Amino acid sequence: MSQRTVDPERSGAAPTEPEDEGDLIGLVPQQVVGPVRQGVAWLDDRAGFSHLLHRVLYEAVPRQGGWAYTLGSATLVLILIQFFSGIFLLLDYVPSVSQAYSSLDFLKTSDPFGAWMRGIHLWGSYTLMFIIGAHALRTFISASYKKPRELNWVTGVFLFFIVLGMAITGAMLPWDQASYWTTTVVTNIPHYIPGIGNGIRTLWRGGNFVGQATLTRSFALHIWVLPVILLGLIGAHIHLLWRHGEHGSWVNYRTRSADPGGEIAERLRNAAAPYPTRGSDPVYSVPSDTVDFFPTQLFKDTVVSAVLVIFIGVMGLISGAPLDGPANAATLTYVPTPEWFYLPLDQLLVFFPLGLVGFGVFVVVGIAATLVIALPFIDRSPERHPIRRPDVLIPALFLIGSVIYLAMLGVNRLYNL
Amino acid sequence: MSERRITRRQFMVRGTGLLGGLITAMVSVPAIGFLLSPLWATTPLLWADVQGGPIDDIPEDKPTARIASIQTETNPPQPPVSRVVYVVKHQGQLYAFSNICTHMQCDVHWDASLDLFECPCHGGLYSITGRNVGGPPPQPLPQWVHRTQVRGGRTYLQVANRLREEI
Repeated sequence: MSQRTVDPERSGAAPTEPEDEGDLIGLVPQQVVGPVRQGVAWLDDRAGFSHLLHRVLYEAVPRQGGWAYTLGSATLVLILIQFFSGIFLLLDYVPSVSQAYSSLDFLKTSDPFGAWMRGIHLWGSYTLMFIIGAHALRTFISASYKKPRELNWVTGVFLFFIVLGMAITGAMLPWDQASYWTTTVVTNIPHYIPGIGNGIRTLWRGGNFVGQATLTRSFALHIWVLPVILLGLIGAHIHLLWRHGEHGSWVNYRTRSADPGGEIAERLRNAAAPYPTRGSDPVYSVPSDTVDFFPTQLFKDTVVSAVLVIFIGVMGLISGAPLDGPANAATLTYVPTPEWFYLPLDQLLVFFPLGLVGFGVFVVVGIAATLVIALPFIDRSPERHPIRRPDVLIPALFLIGSVIYLAMLGVNRLYNL
Repeated sequence: MSERRITRRQFMVRGTGLLGGLITAMVSVPAIGFLLSPLWATTPLLWADVQGGPIDDIPEDKPTARIASIQTETNPPQPPVSRVVYVVKHQGQLYAFSNICTHMQCDVHWDASLDLFECPCHGGLYSITGRNVGGPPPQPLPQWVHRTQVRGGRTYLQVANRLREEI
């Protein structure tokens, strides 16, 4: 824990009294004296807010490439927006097959602010999907998953899977046509698992057919089960980030002098907390130059988050969230289409006919998911530059290319573009 | 007094572990049982009339979509849901197909120009007798459990709240 303590040089004057240690009392203007000042000092003394703030804000982060490192905090902000807007949707939404649709139709027709909030929840989820993907991509390119940050990557991949689960269970809730048929198709997929598949489908649906029990289960998954797992994983992910420090892209670890060994030894001696990263290759354990997270990095983070949140707010207002006709199991004309982020998986379903559906869905997707999770244990070389890691770069490009290709085929098939 | 076999500390360490296990077991048994309860829940056979009157006038080789209000799920009790019953007469046989595709359970419809049942999701095709003849469906189109009743010289169709074949 000694690495966590505040360096007096970086926090201003050496502390004389407890209330001088941090910024909290510094936020109180000099003119304010008496009980208010004493109150803030008392609160800080008892609760240690300044200490906490220092731990969070005065971490050293790599100097170069700061804009690329904004995506993690942007992901966190977008998830918080989803929590916020989702809780507000509970002011109205009823998880019942007879009332879910009418509760959302009411928002659409009669409650403009509620409709806006639902639009924010939808566009927030779309944006989150892009940003979490971009965050994973930048982490992959800079090889930030290498020792000792393997678990940062693994928790991150599981976070991505939970976000996908949130998206699909959320899509099941409005109980309009899109939602009903999404529920039907998605809950049917597990029955292709040999042996236990039918049982899993029955448990997910709460019966053989999609009905009220299915909606109740989707609702419970969406508002309790998955969010709790999500919060736990976020806690683990951020704990690991603080433990190992941020790993920047390769430009932060170049040596400039004729004596690289001496330069790296110098970096290790002068490292600011949380560096040097324990267990890391010495070349990559301290960036050549760092800045404090606050305000340099936090400003960039806030700019990106603000742009994204404004985009979500505007799109939520002008485009909103669609609502099909009410769920109708007896339709003959409805063409179920997956949410865009499930198009690649849906297209896979077309490719694997007859007895191969289970193989396509579980073996192909399962192997791809396992390879992504296991990336830090596959790519163990010390090399960080993407061009010098062709053994993982080429398979990754193939995977990304396949996903995009499948999505394009799906768009072509469903929308005849 | 007999010789001590374990120390106070060992007793407390083991006791904490044991009681923690007990707490876990206490909440796990009902949780797992509740979670798995749909597996052994039984749904009684409930019959529903196929709407739209008697089926005598439905022509041979012309699949006709009718609606039945079927209580598919009873655990917990749920209101009946409108479902499609495709009434097909072919070579003297009567079929009462559901329109549930066996691939991903999308809504199949009869396409008169193809002379086939077609699924809009992934292009599954079925013949007039429900045989899966194209696309990804792994099994034939399932029929509802059904029976006919003759009342006043007219034939009425009833379907039950389950499919004849498991899909």
